Amino acid sequence: MPGGTPQFCLLVVFGVLSIVLLAGVLRPSRLSPPSYFRYLWVFFLFFNASEWISFTLAVWILALFSFQALREYFSLVDIRLQDRWGILAAYLSIPFMIYLIQIDWYGLFIISIPVYAFLIVPFLVVLGGKEVEGKVLSIGVIDFGLFLFVYCMGHIGYLSFFSTWMAVFLILAVALCDLADHALRHRAGNGWKSALFKFLAAAPATVAVSLLLSRWSTIPSLHATILGLLTPLLVLVGNFTITAIETDLGIARARLQPGRGQIIHGVKSYLFAAPVVFHYIRYFLR
Amino acid sequence: MTDRQPALSLRLLIHLLLLRPLLRLVFGVNVVGRENLKGLDRFILAANHNSHLDTLLLFSVLPIRQILRTHPLAARDYFSKQRWLFAAVDYLFRPIWIDRVRKEGDPIEETLEKIDRGSNIIIFPEGTRGEPGQIQEFRTGIGRVVERRRDLPVVPVFLLGPERSLPKRARFPLPLWNYVIVGLPQLLKGETRDVTRSLQKSIENLALSESAQRHRRRPAKKQCFTIGVLGIDGSGKSTLSRRLALELSHSTGVGLISDSLELFEDLSPKELQPLLVEKARQWIGAQAKQARSLVRYKIPKLTELLLRDRMLDETLRWYRPDIIVMDGCPLLNMTGWATLYREQHFNEDFCAKAVRILSSGAEGLHTDDPVLRNFPELRYLKRLKLDRLHIPDAIIFVDVDPKVAIRRIESRGGRRQVHETEEKLDKLRAAYLMVCRVIERDHEVPVCRIDAERSIDVVASEALSFIELARAESRGH
Repeated sequence: MPGGTPQFCLLVVFGVLSIVLLAGVLRPSRLSPPSYFRYLWVFFLFFNASEWISFTLAVWILALFSFQALREYFSLVDIRLQDRWGILAAYLSIPFMIYLIQIDWYGLFIISIPVYAFLIVPFLVVLGGKEVEGKVLSIGVIDFGLFLFVYCMGHIGYLSFFSTWMAVFLILAVALCDLADHALRHRAGNGWKSALFKFLAAAPATVAVSLLLSRWSTIPSLHATILGLLTPLLVLVGNFTITAIETDLGIARARLQPGRGQIIHGVKSYLFAAPVVFHYIRYFLR
Repeated sequence: MTDRQPALSLRLLIHLLLLRPLLRLVFGVNVVGRENLKGLDRFILAANHNSHLDTLLLFSVLPIRQILRTHPLAARDYFSKQRWLFAAVDYLFRPIWIDRVRKEGDPIEETLEKIDRGSNIIIFPEGTRGEPGQIQEFRTGIGRVVERRRDLPVVPVFLLGPERSLPKRARFPLPLWNYVIVGLPQLLKGETRDVTRSLQKSIENLALSESAQRHRRRPAKKQCFTIGVLGIDGSGKSTLSRRLALELSHSTGVGLISDSLELFEDLSPKELQPLLVEKARQWIGAQAKQARSLVRYKIPKLTELLLRDRMLDETLRWYRPDIIVMDGCPLLNMTGWATLYREQHFNEDFCAKAVRILSSGAEGLHTDDPVLRNFPELRYLKRLKLDRLHIPDAIIFVDVDPKVAIRRIESRGGRRQVHETEEKLDKLRAAYLMVCRVIERDHEVPVCRIDAERSIDVVASEALSFIELARAESRGH
């Protein structure tokens, strides 16, 4: 494995994040890092595994993470005995999709969930019980979780197959947007004004990160600038959407508990940005 | 005397290195109130029971030094069905086995003995895995144990999640988060029953505190309250049911299924769309009325009754009223009418079985039951899958002397139907009374018998007050 400057940079960031998190665990009173630090740590674990050990190991770390997010989602929604086969199929589609990333079969990866899982989940849900009432609701609930926490997350994996640094750019840009969102949560009001503030606060930072990383991520400056402007927009849209969904799921943002929205809250900003950035790069740069 | 356990054993290692991490990785475990267990040396854990995961979850919460000292109570008759399972459970958890079938030994004595030797006990006071998400009435076993060892603290635990990840009847476990909510340790006072009840109360309180946060599917669609007005011909049941429907409609939407379908709202009839079933029913009803013998009467009447029941579904589907008043009640009419055809076999046992067959397909009834042999119609209906008739939520039996009924029919004029003789109406009335008794006993449907020889106003007001009571009661459940 190569050990150039970029790889060491990744390791250093990972080390810093680990120390911050460890300090948070050991001395919870002194230092409490924001909850999304933990997921940043997971993503950097993924990048380091991919750069230092092997891509195969890395995607399976991502699979486990995706499983954790999906499990949390299913724990929060109301499921019934007859939906169990459908949910099992949803879980099993994670290894199916991840394996396609691992062997770089793009054509099947991109239709794995929108076509196959999409068709097999309703079939299994209907097979599960004669009770017809609420079937549409069950199928919708399962499919939504599948698309959000498996399919969208899978795009991060495939993006890092193109180049780890493209994925690093995505993760860092989204984390910066989160930071801006966190910093401005009390200042700005509601509605489009606050959205504008957040965008104006985050966009310079994301463009800067994008341009800084452009040497390693091999994204030309023009596209890097566009992506830097696009990402905060996507994060705003994604946050706006998933915040409403969070409320419906009964996730109380004031007191996140394990299994009650911790992961969903932590990864929500990545979910909308990942597929769009991925397809932008694939269309213009591959 | 205490059970001496080695500090480190294979069993402990399996618990710590295999079961706990696996449970956390696959299912996810969140413990609320772990500190409540920390300082305790000896205790009884009492939890609600929904799943086979429950014991595993409770063991994963225990402080490490307590793992080998804790014993759950488990049913030998259930686990001994498979030998490897029994061996595994016996090795990992060292349960106190209870045999619910053979009833060997005294589990309470055995439990007390274990406690005296310094062990902790895990008990599921519900006795068996209940329906998902519901806490059943606690058995008194826990009370009897506590009564004799007052110094032992009881820790109530509420388990949330196992009823979804591995409920009863599920074929496979699903990875879903589990919450273990440990309550404050308690020294319970009072008699057996008080102890049991206060423990159940504290577990239910834990349930209220936590489970309210979970997302729920939209509430079940509103239930329709159906009232069957039963009576012999000429008893004035049609008049009464029309009157009831009209008067009930001052606050809600009411559907009336009589000779024709009507809907009332705000004390006035509403426009209806024609329903095909309704047209068919009216035509067949007219055919039945023209029949000259009981044999010819049977098939049209049966069809009419089946269609009348079908109308209930149609009305619910298209109009969704809050209350439906039925002139007659197909299930009870059909059962009662059997007396006119085979009086010698008509008895209470027949009524009970016929109601069961016609309303729920008679699961568990033997295929050559004498009832099915004597009344082949039931068998045909079952075979044609016409065995899901509705049981009304309340029944009003309009009682009138057959003589009076005949007089009323005569005064109405027109042709008399084939069964409208005093003798047959008398039989029918007795049959209806019997069916009402049976349905009140077996299906807990409130039945009100009203003497209809008085004026319609008195009868109607009596019926209305009964309906109010029955509705309030059904809402309370």
